[in-house]
Amino acid sequence: MNQSFQITLDGQTVTAHTGETVFDVAKREGVSIPSLCHDSRLEPAGACRVCLVEVAGQRRLQPGCAWVVTPDMQIETQTDRIQRHRTVLYNLYMADHEIDDAGLPVETGNENQLRKLCQSVPSMGLTPIQAPRSGRPLDDNPYIKFEPDLCILCARCTRYCDEVEAVNAITLANRGSETTIATAGQRSLMETTCELCGGCIDTCPTGALIEKKAPSNLVQLGEIESFRSTCNFCGVGCQLNLHVQNDRVVKVTSPPPGDTLNDGNLCIKGRFAYDFIHHQDRITEPLIRDKNGQLQPATWEQAIAATANGLNAVREKHGPDALGFISSSRCTGEENYLMQKLARAAFGTNNIHQCAAT
Amino acid sequence: MQKPDSQREKIIELLEHAGGATEDAVAQVSRETGVPEADIWGTGKFYSLIATPGKRVRICDGLTCQMAGADELAKKISDSGQAYERVSCLGQCDLAIATLTEDMKLKTYGKNETSVTPNDPNLAINLAGPVDLSYAALNKARQLGPAAVIEQLEASGLQGRGGAGFPAHIKWKSLRAQTETQRYVICNADEAEPGTFKDRETILRQPHKMLEGLAIAAAMIETTDIYIYIRGEYGHEYESINRAIEESGDQLSEFNFTVVRGHGAYICGEETALLESLEGKRGMPRLKPPFPTESGFRGKPSLIHNVETIACVPSIVHHGGQHFKDLGRTEAGSKLYCISGHINKPGVYELPLGVTLDELVAAAGGYLGTPLAFSPGGASSGFLPIEMRTLPLDYKNLADAGSMMGSSGVVVLNDTVDMAQAAGWQLEFFERESCGQCAPCRIGSRYLRRQNDDYLKHGDPIAFEHADDVAWEMEEGSICGLGMVAAKPLESAREHFPDHFKTK
Amino acid sequence: MTNSIDEIRDTDMMFVIGSNTTEAHPIIAMEMKRARQRGAKLVVADPRKIWLAEMADLHLQLKPGTDVWLLSAMANVIISENLYDQAFIEKHTTDFDHVVEKVKSYTPEEAEKITGVPAEDIRTAARWYATTKHAGIYYTLGITEHTHGTDNVYCLANLVLMTGHLGVKSAGMNPLRGQNNVQGANDAGATPVYYPGYQKVTDVSVKSKFETAWGVGLSAHDGLNLNEMMKEMAKGNLKAVYVMGEDIVISEPNVTKVETGLNRCEFVVCQEIFHNETTRFADVILPGACFAEKDGVFTNSDRRIQRVRKAVDPPGKARPDWRILCDIARTSGYAMPNYLSTEEVFAEFASLTPQIKGISYQRLEATPAGLQWPCPDENHPGTPTLHLDGPMVGTAPFQAVDYRPSAELPDNDYPLVLSTGRTLYHYNSATQTRRDAGPATKQRGNFIEINLRDAKRLGIQHGNRVEVASRRGTICAEAWISPRVRVGCIWMPMHFAENRANLLTNDAGDSVTGTGEYKVCAVKVRAVEALPNAPANALLETR
Repeated sequence: MNQSFQITLDGQTVTAHTGETVFDVAKREGVSIPSLCHDSRLEPAGACRVCLVEVAGQRRLQPGCAWVVTPDMQIETQTDRIQRHRTVLYNLYMADHEIDDAGLPVETGNENQLRKLCQSVPSMGLTPIQAPRSGRPLDDNPYIKFEPDLCILCARCTRYCDEVEAVNAITLANRGSETTIATAGQRSLMETTCELCGGCIDTCPTGALIEKKAPSNLVQLGEIESFRSTCNFCGVGCQLNLHVQNDRVVKVTSPPPGDTLNDGNLCIKGRFAYDFIHHQDRITEPLIRDKNGQLQPATWEQAIAATANGLNAVREKHGPDALGFISSSRCTGEENYLMQKLARAAFGTNNIHQCAAT
Repeated sequence: MQKPDSQREKIIELLEHAGGATEDAVAQVSRETGVPEADIWGTGKFYSLIATPGKRVRICDGLTCQMAGADELAKKISDSGQAYERVSCLGQCDLAIATLTEDMKLKTYGKNETSVTPNDPNLAINLAGPVDLSYAALNKARQLGPAAVIEQLEASGLQGRGGAGFPAHIKWKSLRAQTETQRYVICNADEAEPGTFKDRETILRQPHKMLEGLAIAAAMIETTDIYIYIRGEYGHEYESINRAIEESGDQLSEFNFTVVRGHGAYICGEETALLESLEGKRGMPRLKPPFPTESGFRGKPSLIHNVETIACVPSIVHHGGQHFKDLGRTEAGSKLYCISGHINKPGVYELPLGVTLDELVAAAGGYLGTPLAFSPGGASSGFLPIEMRTLPLDYKNLADAGSMMGSSGVVVLNDTVDMAQAAGWQLEFFERESCGQCAPCRIGSRYLRRQNDDYLKHGDPIAFEHADDVAWEMEEGSICGLGMVAAKPLESAREHFPDHFKTK
Repeated sequence: MTNSIDEIRDTDMMFVIGSNTTEAHPIIAMEMKRARQRGAKLVVADPRKIWLAEMADLHLQLKPGTDVWLLSAMANVIISENLYDQAFIEKHTTDFDHVVEKVKSYTPEEAEKITGVPAEDIRTAARWYATTKHAGIYYTLGITEHTHGTDNVYCLANLVLMTGHLGVKSAGMNPLRGQNNVQGANDAGATPVYYPGYQKVTDVSVKSKFETAWGVGLSAHDGLNLNEMMKEMAKGNLKAVYVMGEDIVISEPNVTKVETGLNRCEFVVCQEIFHNETTRFADVILPGACFAEKDGVFTNSDRRIQRVRKAVDPPGKARPDWRILCDIARTSGYAMPNYLSTEEVFAEFASLTPQIKGISYQRLEATPAGLQWPCPDENHPGTPTLHLDGPMVGTAPFQAVDYRPSAELPDNDYPLVLSTGRTLYHYNSATQTRRDAGPATKQRGNFIEINLRDAKRLGIQHGNRVEVASRRGTICAEAWISPRVRVGCIWMPMHFAENRANLLTNDAGDSVTGTGEYKVCAVKVRAVEALPNAPANALLETR
């Protein structure tokens, strides 16, 4: 039963609906509540404690990501109490995080959202706690790297692995300050149920999980070019951002969850299998087979002419239906349109098809 | 994803039988249960009794055992060439120093036997009384029906004895109001708060009071499924429960009792962490709401009570709510107080709720040496100065004093103790037992322990420069009660014993 | 797909048949997992115990090629237990009585004998499917890659129609497309019987429309489909082929025949980004561009048109394929317009295609999640779910079909059934995925899955090299003893050029579509001591 009702958010009366969380309402109203462990694809965990808000009548601060609003509820997100909470909490995180020369959480090849939060509060200079958090330095998987010193244990990665990809390859292990992200037996991801989808990297808010393939300074380079495109593998049609540096695709990510049909998710092929683009085996010039059966480099003019002549010769000798055109379900719609137009309009045959059984 | 027929709830026990959280054992349990390996690994590594395989002596480092010289004992054991591990309070403070042998058998080094209040049939639990196998209260409850029984429960003023002091009848009413008919009664016997051993004595001496209370609760909320979660270190107590279930014969035959052993995690005494553990997961507390009365074990409404709370129920049904209420002084009922430390006769004393420390110590044979401080309700309650010896030990007065009734595990410290050192022992406990889920507790508990260590080493109070802020944040920001109180020992010691925290 | 991918998460029942979704469509599988974790029922029909089957409520592990029996028996249950949607049938369909009559003899008990699926499981699946409102069917090549593939599809359509699971959110009939732009290639008319937008080439008015638009006379008869082209090529009747972006020597069934055909051709052109098995036969090789190097659109499984954008330049002299095609058309004498961009090509394509007439690059810029056809005019929001207000035109006929066995069944000489398919880690002929460390390490070479009982009988141990032979060819692979496959069946991926599964498969085609029978052919397996000299694979050596 979906009902609308009023609540008070930072003193403003706003409309909310049955089942909505403080986050849902705040997002719609443009009220910004910081958070690290929230991902719209996952069940709220309330674990990072960054999003705590004041709820009238509740003795304790409550997590905005999980707190479900009810009629006439009064929520405050900006009080002195919350400000103090954020200041000390972010400073505690800093005491458990690798810090750079600027005194802020280190940023790797991916954005560190904790760094941004820490810039918003005064530094208390808490002594580092040197948590004995183990990593997997010997994990030889080719794509995914875990930096334990950048991990805040928000468990987005393990929850993603369980709830979305559902392969349950990684887990929280140990307890207290020894808690870490682990595989069974701390094995390489290659020897687990991991399918190398890289969703853990994507959901990690601090860059503790990063692509091994991508340059480590991508964020620091500032505006590196990114192109929105569509994956070229299976028929799902996932949206991608191709990140380009020096005319090379150096990283592939998904647009954020919510706007696209892949909802922020990609598989191993979409996210990682882009090495072929710049592979040395690419054919880089037209080739024509000579009398001895050897392929020889040619100019485009020669190759186009050879093709046109070859096809025309067969048509003249055997008729248009002696020609066959095999188009590609890998190519674009425009190219398929042009290929069938080529077959039909230029060569007069309907012998045009592609491998398309479903 | 787990297979639909996977047997997650069994994995912890199977892992224990397979030798602990090793790669081979995890693979084997995964094959047997259909639960993914990583989930089993992560769960196994949470519980200290199975996380690291290998035989060793486990030496308690709870406050009372530390005061009794557990460090020296550890050195002796180490010198003898035996492997050992320091573990959190084993619930044997009255017999300190406590250890578990390599075969997980209890071995204590104390001089005294446990003392309990002499037989008095008026008392609700009456540890020293005869064992009653009649289950008359259960039969009476059935005759009265749920409405009348809950009315008596309300009249009794019974508050949760695990520490939170929540009125028991409200939970029962809430359970009865649920539309879901699959409901559970769960007994929290995961007694692990340092200084506390009252549930242990209840289970050993009056297990039928507990079973009967559980049966009454189950009958009143219309279920037959009863789970008892008992800490893994309690071997005799586990046997005592099973023996009592056998002894009860046909009286309880309609109920399905399941006794589940913990595997070394203090946090599983927190009710939602306990539920996670029952479900075969890491014992990490859940967010509340929803509360277990709506969505508990397996997502179904669950009535969770501490051993002592539920053991009071037969007496309430038998004698009526008013009788129980009148047993108390400042608040309702008689109460099991554990007392240990620097006193003559450590033990469990059932006294009117609201007695003072002096009265309690008088029952326990008087102070040893010159008392300096006491911890009224386990590590979570922090320390109070001996000047508060006449404060009623009840829920309200202790809360007003900035402490808490908690599990009423009272520890008395005399003037031979350095309060910074005592605070350090408690901080170590919380650091080790933090589940690691939320940052205020995980980072804060380690931070404060390290700062206190730094002070103990260098004598410079600058170590505590940010302690108040961090303690404040732990209380405000943590998910569960553990994090909320983990700074209390340090903060209360600094407040009440400033001389112990000066520049040295 | 009649329905959208994002509707899957809200479904209450999924009937997945002939689709190894977690491997072939991982992101759609995520939606299925999401629905599953939410409590939706999942029934998987597949000869293999794939991962989806392990998480299912019910796995119908049918014998390969017996789908018509299984599905007809489900229809039998729905009809005999009165679980069909009378109102929907009356309003939107015809010929229901034909199916009622036909499936009478397809009882669950008889079906159990043929399919190997317990009758009670067939009943349960049918009841769940018929009585759940938001129940969707999801299928892919396990349904279509049979000589009776069209019959299989008819059977599924019958189930959808008799239960009224059409025009309902999170329900419908949902083929999951295997390639990024299968849908788009078909929509664009890369098919021998249709112009763009499924307009029949044999329809005179359609023909004249395109003749006017393109300014040239056009052929009036259907062309050859791919399967037929391969056969005519082998017979020497098809004399020249222009192959763009497809490795037919790996991907077509019975590739020995394909190779014979290519050798007989007078002229072969390949437009490719990598050398592959097919380019070995090319007279001219034209270097094309990959998706990151050109503009355009792809149309995905749920009819969603989305933009492809150029991010980097093609390597060396390689050029975007659309420019190459235009140059060849002009050079061979046809006045192909001088398009300045793919946007202009798309505009022409859309203007001739009613379903996408309302879609333009401009609109696609403004709708980052793409637009789903039908989208007949520029104000139309697109169509996430087909038939929401009842079937668009007229009524849908039921199709009564009879079971026909697969073209080649096991016998004494070739006693095992081979099915082929895709894995998560590779893609088609793997020219792209084997160039990346992750997939290449996870799966280094070809393998078969074989049941322990068959393996024992044949003296094969896990990891052994085995020789797999059919009437058409012989290849080697590593044996993986796997509980996923039925006794009497083996399974093999299609990705590996040096040991091509399609040397074995049968090119007998579906009677309507011509699609090859990749899912059933008869083979024999024996352990071999050492791997014979497999064709050297340059692709693997150069990394």
